[in-house]
Parts: sequence; structure tokens; C-alpha cells
Amino acid sequence: MNNTLNFNDVNHKLLKTALRIRTVEEKFLQLFSEGKLNGTVHTCVGQEFSAIAFAGQLKKRDFIFSNHRCHGHYIAFTGDVRGLLAELLGKKSGTCGGIGSSQHLCHNNFYSNGIQGGIVPVAAGYALANKLKKANAVGVVFIGDGTLGEGALYETMNIISKWEIPLLIVCENNFYAQSTAQKTNLAGDILSRPEAFGIKTWKGDTWNPDQLMKTAAEAIDYVREGVKPGFFLVETYRLNAHSKGDDDRDTEEVKAYTERDYINQFKRDSLSYYNNYHGTITEEIDGLVTEILAEEELPIQDYFEVQDEVKNDRWQQIEPIAKRQVELLNQFFKEQIVNDDRMVFLGEDILSPYGGAFKVARDLSFLKPDRVFSTPISEAAITGIANGLALNGLKPIAEIMFGDFITLAFDQIVNHASKFHHMFNKKIKCPVVVRTPMGGNRGYGPTHSQTLDKFLIGIDNVKTVALNTFIDPGIVYKSIYREEHPVVVIENKVDYGKKILHNALKNYRYERSESDFPVVRISPAISEPTLTIVAYGGMADMVAGILEQIFIETDHKAELIVPTLISQLPIDVIKESASRTGSLVVIEEGSPVGGIGSELIASIMESSDHYIKAKRIASLPVPIPSVKSLENIVLPDKNRIIREIAENFN
Amino acid sequence: MGLLQEIKVPLIAVNDTSLTVVEISHANGDHVQKGTTVMVFETSKTTYNVEAEVDGFINYLCEVGSDYEVNDIVARIFSGKEEADTATIPPAELQPPAVHHQNGQTIAAAWTGITIFSNGAKKLMEESKLNTEAFAGRDFVNLTDVESLLGIRKTPAAPKTAAAKQVSAKEQELPVPANSTKVKLTGSKKREIEYLGKVQSTGLTSTINTHVETDGIFIHINNALAVLKNSLLPVIVYETSRLLKIYPLLNGYFSGDSIILYNDVNIGFAIDIDKGLKVLNVRNADTKQLSIIENEIVDLSTKYLDDKLAVEELTEISFTITDLSGEDVSFFRPLVNMQNSAILGVSSIDQKLQRLYLSMSFDHRVTEGKLVAQFLKDLKNRLESYRGNGGKTLTSTITCFKCAKRLSEDLSDTGFAKVLTPSGEEAYICQSCFKGF
Ligand SMILES: Cc1ncc(C[n+]2csc(CCOP(=O)(O)OP(=O)(O)O)c2C)c(N)n1
Repeated sequence: MNNTLNFNDVNHKLLKTALRIRTVEEKFLQLFSEGKLNGTVHTCVGQEFSAIAFAGQLKKRDFIFSNHRCHGHYIAFTGDVRGLLAELLGKKSGTCGGIGSSQHLCHNNFYSNGIQGGIVPVAAGYALANKLKKANAVGVVFIGDGTLGEGALYETMNIISKWEIPLLIVCENNFYAQSTAQKTNLAGDILSRPEAFGIKTWKGDTWNPDQLMKTAAEAIDYVREGVKPGFFLVETYRLNAHSKGDDDRDTEEVKAYTERDYINQFKRDSLSYYNNYHGTITEEIDGLVTEILAEEELPIQDYFEVQDEVKNDRWQQIEPIAKRQVELLNQFFKEQIVNDDRMVFLGEDILSPYGGAFKVARDLSFLKPDRVFSTPISEAAITGIANGLALNGLKPIAEIMFGDFITLAFDQIVNHASKFHHMFNKKIKCPVVVRTPMGGNRGYGPTHSQTLDKFLIGIDNVKTVALNTFIDPGIVYKSIYREEHPVVVIENKVDYGKKILHNALKNYRYERSESDFPVVRISPAISEPTLTIVAYGGMADMVAGILEQIFIETDHKAELIVPTLISQLPIDVIKESASRTGSLVVIEEGSPVGGIGSELIASIMESSDHYIKAKRIASLPVPIPSVKSLENIVLPDKNRIIREIAENFN
Repeated sequence: MGLLQEIKVPLIAVNDTSLTVVEISHANGDHVQKGTTVMVFETSKTTYNVEAEVDGFINYLCEVGSDYEVNDIVARIFSGKEEADTATIPPAELQPPAVHHQNGQTIAAAWTGITIFSNGAKKLMEESKLNTEAFAGRDFVNLTDVESLLGIRKTPAAPKTAAAKQVSAKEQELPVPANSTKVKLTGSKKREIEYLGKVQSTGLTSTINTHVETDGIFIHINNALAVLKNSLLPVIVYETSRLLKIYPLLNGYFSGDSIILYNDVNIGFAIDIDKGLKVLNVRNADTKQLSIIENEIVDLSTKYLDDKLAVEELTEISFTITDLSGEDVSFFRPLVNMQNSAILGVSSIDQKLQRLYLSMSFDHRVTEGKLVAQFLKDLKNRLESYRGNGGKTLTSTITCFKCAKRLSEDLSDTGFAKVLTPSGEEAYICQSCFKGF
């Protein structure tokens, strides 16, 4: 365990940086025990040289994605000790205004997030954007050895190798994941994993910093010059607890590593130097802390602004378009990809001539081969890469082949795309678009027919849009494309083949609002409506087609309102109609509990002065059967809709 | 004692704002039984029998051969004979035209489309012998509306009783010269003049002709037809209806300072065998396959001969075809119908030259010769493509039996496969439905 150490001039500089990181980390532990620090910290004491070898040797234009144990990486890359201190002390002047704190930092191409594994595809997307922009920039993503258990990592390794993305994955192997020793959780070995994907690997450790610096530089050069991915395994040891007091490791083992630690050896060998350096750094940090402690915190108004409700003052008549929805979608993307260099289209099976399972991507790869990426079956990575592309200034459109598979991308939507803007205190935006077809009535059965929209509303800062057959999808996508924050678009398999306003009934008026995400209103030509129906997505077309039948059989002159933006329902328009009719039906294709209908009715009730009788009509809460007769019963079909309206509103 | 039923001039077709009384079946004061015909109207398209809805004594307010406006009261049925004998309404008492009320609000008589009745409304109307005309000008009528009208609900009912007022002839009459006989125009002829006059009298119609090579054309067409062998009409209806989707101006009409475009393609074909000239409607022809169109032509023609045509089969025609191919006609100039912008005429095939002429007359206020010429050229090409094309299938008629996607709309470039459906019928299937996902 003992090596002969030679503390020459060069690594005095190194040592000072490492000591600086360590002093900051120890300060955090002290502040924490004094109750001055909210939440938690994961310190990297013992691992500092890994941070310096990679983060410290990158160029300004390069980037870093890091995890919960990110302070060392942050200081080594940005040098911004003050921002970090203020961040953890919860001050407005903190690097993210105190919102993100220890695990969520963002400054000059440095990003960290507290979700294990999820940052890896995001980093890959960021690196891909650099490659597409020919920026000659590379990136490093740090993971711990415990994170080798996350699937998103393997999806991403496959892709970065296949697509030659200049990203260096640095795995900091400290032999523990939280409380669990590596031998309990890790099968096989580590390096053969990236090697299996054809990724070049390197190895080093923090007990030989000079060597680590050299090999790290070599790896970074390889990734930059070769425009290829790499994987670097750094063996190291954290000398403190996982976060604060949670340490069950063998004290003898910890003691042995404490002695072996490079900084500790330096302290033993050259105490006067050590004291000198440590004194200066401590003085500087103490000064900063005193200053920061007196500062103010971010007021809530700076963080959260109430969003305006969707207002629809102006309405216009809807004209039919003799083109199928899928053609209009395809036309929009074709025009966009040709005219906008920022656009990137990615998803499974989207290369032409196949052009995606539903042909929305048809010919895109012929028009712009370098901006269209057909991916492996990797929904988490597709969405994560799209997030990274968006963070790095491009406009990614990610296709999830069937809406059912969006659950595999959920972490990327909820913990990444949704969070970035606010948790990094609005320093960045993530204008990603994820689109996917949902809906049944095609006999595809339990896992290819679902409407899972209810899981996709109520995600902070994410808009969820459901297309319908009354508005040119090109108009809706123009608005989506302009959005600066994430949008999830739900398309409908059955609607793809339909034309816009293809079957207008003569006795109804068809209008739409002129807002960015238009609301459609279908009203009796001259009669006062007696029932307000809200339906969206695939249900809207179905319900619109049976309005006459509803009337004949239930006596109700229904007005149908079709929202497009379902994450922020047009409450004003619906309330206005429901107040007149006193009766409100919401029809959705998902199951009823906790659905869009629940949300809508609650919103109407809490703001309405009138009594409005309300009813939800939705799918039965079982997996959707393939067999036609049962599928028809489980999904809201026209007979059930008419029956339920008749039973509830007469 | 009192008034049991008022008979008003019904609104049968939107265009017919007045109807001719062609028969009065009883004399004033006669007893009539529920269900017996009391009078017959002639519309531009067909005749319409009015039946008594109650037992009682009839009193007519009209005369045979005269025209009356829709909603005018033309007869009344009373419970007592004396009332029927004595009841007359002097013209001075004519009341202003009806206004419909609903929820106390006046509804502008804006709605000229059909009225849809709910089942509940229909039931109560039947029970209370209420005529559908009572609700003319409404889009929807539900139970509440009927109850309001009947006074069951406390909303003001429509005050109604405009009495019959004769519609006067428009053309100024000249004295009849000697050695000549005056033959009165029939009501239907008068309306025909009015209809055709509407467009033609502007002098802004024109006709363009083109010819179609017909050599070998029936070899394939006859394969696809079940009954109408050696007839081009089904194929012409089929192709024209699809082309009209591309040429919407020809599927509309001129009105005021606008052009109205129909959403649906309803092709009318003219027929005149013994029962007078009528135009029969193949509705939404653009969405129908050739065999269906053929069936409908046969069906409609049979109904025409049997006098069984319904009003819907004669109205809302968006484009007209007049096929004189059976009449040994070289070529002719068809006249554009009211509320149409164009009409297609089909002449006979010249057997020596193996060609026929297509003539299209059109309203210049809506479109112009260049567009019509292009339309005719497209139609000609489409028709000629049926000639000996080496047994190729008509791709435009092929649809996937599962998702109804048309072969022409297939984006995969793979084509469709021919399969046996679970019920044992031959059909086509697209590759998405076939392979699944
Ligand atoms: C997706 C996810 N699962 C679990 C956690 C909780 N967690 C935080 S750190 C950690 C251990 C990570 O171990 P490793 O990757 O080896 O990094 P180290 O802490 O050793 O630096 C766990 C389980 C998390 N943050 N994210």
C-alpha cells in the first residue's frame, strides 16, 4: 500500500486544488453539524484527484454532467467556490439561487442531477449536439460504481458507441453504493461492460495522481480527436460517510484508506507546506462563509410565477382539409427539418423508406440524413438524448413508437426535462418535444392500445398536447415548436388516417379559438345547447361523429368542446358552456380514476358559482383486450356514451 | 267542438319555397277520416300527399293549379260540419308570417337546413298529431321544444296562422294571337324554368367539349359492373366525384357576392323515362366504390319508375350529370341547374370512330374555361385509362378492409395484399394491418 512519493512543484499545484476541494467539503460537514445547512451533502473527501484529473483538464467549451457527489467536479471545472458555498447555504447568490443545492448545480456547461443513471443519456445528447455543431468540444459524465446497476447507462453506451458520440464516461469506483459494498451488488467485472459495446477503456486511481492526470489527458484527447466515446474507471475511496452520519463500513478498512490517502501522506511528509496551504485556504473560505451567511435568500416571486390561464377570446370557423392527419404531420416535419438546422428527429424505426411505425417520419432521413437518428429500442436513452440536445441549443423531436412505452421514458420527462429550468434557477431551458401515438380500437391489446395521458398531465413545466381531427396538426406543431420548455404530444393511431374535419355534420357549427393551442367548439347550428361535452384526442373525433345520435336518443343538444392543451385545460371556455347547460360530461379514453375528467371537473367546481351536474365517461379499469367484442366494451364506445348520458342527464 | 288540424304547405326541399296544389280530394264540408289523402302537392321533384291526421270535416283555403308558399295554411279540419261549411278567412285577415320562438327569444329564420327530431320529440309529436312543419327553421327539436309548442311548458308557443296566399305568375303575359292555342304550364315545368333560368338567365354560362376514346373501354368496365354492362355512367359518376374533390369550385354555386362550396359531393344524374325529367342523387359519391355507385344508380332508377323516390333522393345535389348516350346524341349543351356551378353532359359513343363527347356547361361567375378544360382533360384521361390497360386493377377502388386506408393513400410503397377475411370474403389488407406492429 505504500508508494514512494515525490511531491514536486507540479503536484504542489495539484495538491493545492485538491486541498481546496477538501477544505470546502469539510466546511460543509461542519456547517451541517452546526445546523446552518439545509438538506444533505455528499462529500468527495478522498476522491478529489478524480475531479481534478478530468474536470480540471477540460477546456472551457467542454462540458460536465455529474451526480450527487459533484462538489469536487464543480470546483475543479468552474473554480466557483463562492457560488457553491452560497448555493449550499441556500442564498440567492448561490449558483442556482439555493434551489438546487448540493446535488443540482449548473454553471458554464456544468450540470449535475441527483438521479442515478439518468444524466448519462442527457450527457450523450449534449455531446451529440456538439458533434452536430462541429464544436470540437467533448464532455465528461461522472457516475459512481453503484450506478452500474442502472439500465439507462447501458442503453446509452450502446448508442454512443454506435453513433460515435464524443463523451467520456468516468466511473468513480469507491467500492460502495451508499451502504452497500460492491461485492453484494456487482456481478462480473466493470470494464468488460463498456468493452462489450466496443468502447475504449482506461483505468487509473487517486493514489497516483500524476499517472491519473496523464491517462485522463490521454483519454480526453482520444475522445476529442477521434470523435469517439470512452470509458474511464477510477479506483478511489471516500473517506467520509455516504452523506452525513451514515457509515457502516469496517473502521479498520476506512483507517487504512485514510492513511493511504495522498493528501494525508503529503500532510505527514510536508506538514509545514500543508499547514501553510491549508491555513490560507481555510481563511479564504471562512471569510466567504461569514460574508454569505449575512446574505438574503431568493424570494418566492423570483422562483415561481403564476402562469396565465389559456384565454380564447377570438373564434374562427373551421375549414376541412382534404389531407390525412399523418400527411400533414409529415409535411410539417419535412418543412421544418429542411428549414431549421436546429431540428433533430429521433426514434425507433424512423429511417425511410420505413419512416416510423405510423409513417410520420417518412422521407425525413432522405432529406436530412445527419439530423435523423434511428435509435435502438431504448426509450429512456432516446428521451434523455433528446433532453441533452435541447439543453445544448438544438430542437429535438423524439418519437416514442407507441404511447404505452412512454413509461420507460418517464424518468427523463419527470426528473430531467421537467426540472432543469427551475432547479437550475432558470439559467437554462430544455425545449424538448416528445411525441407518441396512443389509443385503442385497433385490436393491439393491453400494451399497445393504452391512453396514458393522465400520467402526463401535472408535470411541472411540461405541456401536454393531444392532437385531434379538427385542427391542422401543422398549426398545433408550429406552436409546439416555438415552445421553450418541454412538450409531450399525444397523437392518436386511429386519427392518423383521418382528414381534418372529414365528416362535418350539417346541423352543427365548427369553430376553433385562435390561441396557440386551439380549443375546438362544436355547437348546434342555432339551438341553445343543453349539455356540455368535453372530449379530446381520439375520443373527440368519435364523439363528434355521434352528436346527432346523442341528440336523437337522449334529447340533448350537446355542445362539444375539444381541448388541445390538456395539461392546462381551457377552464374558462368549458365553464362558460357548462354554466349555460348546467350539465357537463367528460369523455376520456384512459381509465377514470385520477384522470383528465377528474382534474377538469374539480377545476370547474372550485371556480363555478352554479350547480353543474357532472359525469366522467372513461375506459373500464382493466388492461385493454385484443378481442374486438371486449375491446369495444372496455373503451368508451358510442352505445355506452349514449346510455350513460341518457341515464345521468334526464 | 273546434279546429282539429291545420294543414300547411310543407317544406319538402329547401329550394321549394312554394308548392303547387295539383289535387283537392274532397269538397268543402266533407267528412274525412284519419289517414285519408286530403290533397296533393307537386314539388319541383315529386308529388306529396297530405293525409288527415284526425277524423273531421274539411275546409279548403286553396284551389287546384295554384302555388302557395311554405307554411301557408291551405286547409283546416273541424270537429263540426257547420264550422267547416262556414269557415272562410277573408284575405284582409291574413296575418304576418310566422316567427319561431324559443325560450322567449326570437330566432332569426336563419336555418334552412334539415330539422333533426329527437326520439322523445317524435313520440310526443305523433301522440299530439303535430306536423314536422311546425318546426321549420329549427336545427334540432327535442321533447322540451315540442312541449313548449304544445303549451305543456310555459314558454311562449309560436303564434301561427298565415293563411293561404296565392303566388302570382312572374312573366308578364302577352295577348294570345289567333290560330294558336294556349297550353298552361304545369307546376313542375314552371319550376324547371325557374331553376334553369336562375343560372342561365345571367347569360354567363358557357360550354366546353372534349372527346374520349372508347375503343376497348368496356372490357374492363364490364368486369367491374354487375348489371349496367356497356354503360359508362357508373364509372363517370365514380371518377367525376373524385375529381370534384380536386376541383371544389365545380362542386358549388354562385350566391349573392359569394361562392358557396359544398362539403359533400352529391352527384345527381338526370333521368327521363315516362315519369318526367328528374335528377336523382348519388350521395357522397366520392366515398363510394364503383359497385356501390352502380347499385345506387340501379336502385334510384327503379324507385323512379315505381314512383317511390324519397325527397332526400332528389335534393341537395351538388353536381349534375346528364347522360344522353342512349339517345343517339352526337353532342349537346346541357344547362346548369340552380345551386350548381356546372353540369356534365355525356353523348353517345360513335361506334365507327369509337369515341364520345363530354360537354361541360359552367357558370362563369364561379369559374372559367381554363379550369373546366383541365377538369375535362383529367376526366378524359381517367376514363381512357380503363381501356385495355393490360388487366391492371383499378387502384383507386382498393381499400384495406381493416383500416379502410386506400391503396392510393398507402405510404409504405409496398402495396396491399389480397387476403380472405375471417368471414371468407376476398379483400385487400394494408401492410400495417397485416403485419401489425
Ligand atoms: C435513481 C436513483 N436511485 C437511488 C438513488 C439514491 N442514491 C443516491 S446516491 C446512491 C448510491 C450511489 O452509489 P454510487 O453510484 O456508487 O455513487 P457514490 O455514492 O458511491 O459516489 C443511491 C442509491 C438515487 N439518487 N437515484
